[in-house]
Amino acid sequence: MKLLAAPLASMVAALLLAALPLVTSSNYVIGIGLSALIFTVAAAALNLIYGYTGLLSFAQLGFWGIGGYATALTVVTFGGNFWWGLLWAALVNAVLAIVVGYPTLRTNRHAFVIVTLTFALLVTLIARDWVSLTRGPLGIPNLPAPEAFGHRFAGTAQFYWVAWAFSVAMLGFLYALCSSRIGRTLVAIKQNEPLVRAQGIAPVPYKLAAFAISAAITGAAGGVYCFHLGIIDPLFLDFYYMQTFLIIVIIGGAGSFWGVVVAGVVMSALPELLRFSEDLRMVIYGAILVVAMFVMPSGAAGWLRERQLLRMREHVR
Amino acid sequence: MSAILEVSDLRKAYAGVHALDGVSFAVEAGSITGLIGPNGSGKSTAIDCISGFQKLDGGKVVLAGQDITGRVAHHIARTGLMRTFQTVRIYERLSLRDNLAIANQQFDAANWLDELLRTRRYRDAVEAAEKRARQLVELIGLQRYWEIETGILSYGQKKLVALAAALMPHPKVVVLDEPVAGVNPSRIREIEAALGELNRAGETFLIVEHNVEFITNLCHRVIVLDQGRKLAEGTAAAIHTDPRVLEAYLGMTPEMAEAEMRGAA
Repeated sequence: MKLLAAPLASMVAALLLAALPLVTSSNYVIGIGLSALIFTVAAAALNLIYGYTGLLSFAQLGFWGIGGYATALTVVTFGGNFWWGLLWAALVNAVLAIVVGYPTLRTNRHAFVIVTLTFALLVTLIARDWVSLTRGPLGIPNLPAPEAFGHRFAGTAQFYWVAWAFSVAMLGFLYALCSSRIGRTLVAIKQNEPLVRAQGIAPVPYKLAAFAISAAITGAAGGVYCFHLGIIDPLFLDFYYMQTFLIIVIIGGAGSFWGVVVAGVVMSALPELLRFSEDLRMVIYGAILVVAMFVMPSGAAGWLRERQLLRMREHVR
Repeated sequence: MSAILEVSDLRKAYAGVHALDGVSFAVEAGSITGLIGPNGSGKSTAIDCISGFQKLDGGKVVLAGQDITGRVAHHIARTGLMRTFQTVRIYERLSLRDNLAIANQQFDAANWLDELLRTRRYRDAVEAAEKRARQLVELIGLQRYWEIETGILSYGQKKLVALAAALMPHPKVVVLDEPVAGVNPSRIREIEAALGELNRAGETFLIVEHNVEFITNLCHRVIVLDQGRKLAEGTAAAIHTDPRVLEAYLGMTPEMAEAEMRGAA
């Protein structure tokens, strides 16, 4: 019964989320739901490389932006459709992650943080200054609504289904990955890399795969999100996005799949729920974050886990 | 008996200091071999070099007929050499069960696709590993910690977990780096008994340890290192009366050593 509880609960939650456009006709509310879905996917991808593997990657922001531009350019400049754009976004990012990751992952965790941060900054510069490709600060407006099976997903409510299907597929894949031996191996690498090597496991291919998968999913998520906005410009690489993904992972509990998924929905909705006070909104948001970090330094999932450990200790004694 | 692990003329220097200066020895299949020596004699460097955690400057390492000199650590592990570490290394935030399962996963037939799709091959591999893990957990007497994170265990218990993990894939040689250092005496006897039992079942061990009594009780053959060189080799009894060993390692005369042994017994 307990074994079935988690998949059952997640299925119910997914179906409830799918029903959002039927419950409300407010584009504002549906937009928040859509953002929550996409941010959760990007955060879950960050969780794979940071929470599970222990590698803090700021390159996610770069992948997000490249994914957005790759999808937009595929549709607008190269005459492809939205779906090919997403695939292309994922592919380009996976390759970039391997190219950046291969030399960097041979050094240490600190070097990885710095290199990924530099990568993100570089992507921002390219988005702004390679005008012939990205159209610079003007960006690419009027991104068309995608079509599938002869249906046009025009408008926020319609596009919400696209984002929903994408999110469910990506989270499902990430769950299968994280809950398999592969996920456990990533955790083992984070905890004790020499031991992993002594047990015959080569850590670099695992780290590289985690980084590439994380990059591909983040890129595709960026692709979906910019079509929701309808425009892509260098603001799409605002650090706000990176910060949001990171907050979701840290508050949810790095290394916990469900912790991050729940935090993704809550933390995306929270700034909007605080709109009752426009002036103090971000102040309250900040205060909530600070208090949360004091009470649960290893995130919500970490907090629950410590409770569980305490019980285990008592049980064992 | 034949040698399962043969090292010859191992050389390693740190900034000009010879940590290993031409060390050669062999570990017979099915034996327990002790590697002892005073601090800084090169024991840890020797096993780090053998297991691929440090690069050799010279020499040769042959495991079960395969030249593994200069291979990377995970490659050597796959060839059949498992090791533990002086400062105990386990996955503290994973359960005992997962600790043991991970130690075996590189040695079964399931590949990453099997893992992702949870194929029959994957499930069979998991089941077989679980069976082996349960046997080992019974051997080290930690059954009631099966589902519990190993971080809460005592230091001695963690050493047992590391030992069990090293044994998981039925390695050809198990190298133990100070398996009883910092472990309380009653637990030492348990470890001793467990290792003896495993050895009778066919496991081969190479043990680095300072505890002379432990080495004497267990080892068929003892190798003594001093200042990066092999000082002596022989049965535990022969080593005990070798004046060179006593002077270098114990810093005492044979008479003093005998008195010490009586005291220990």
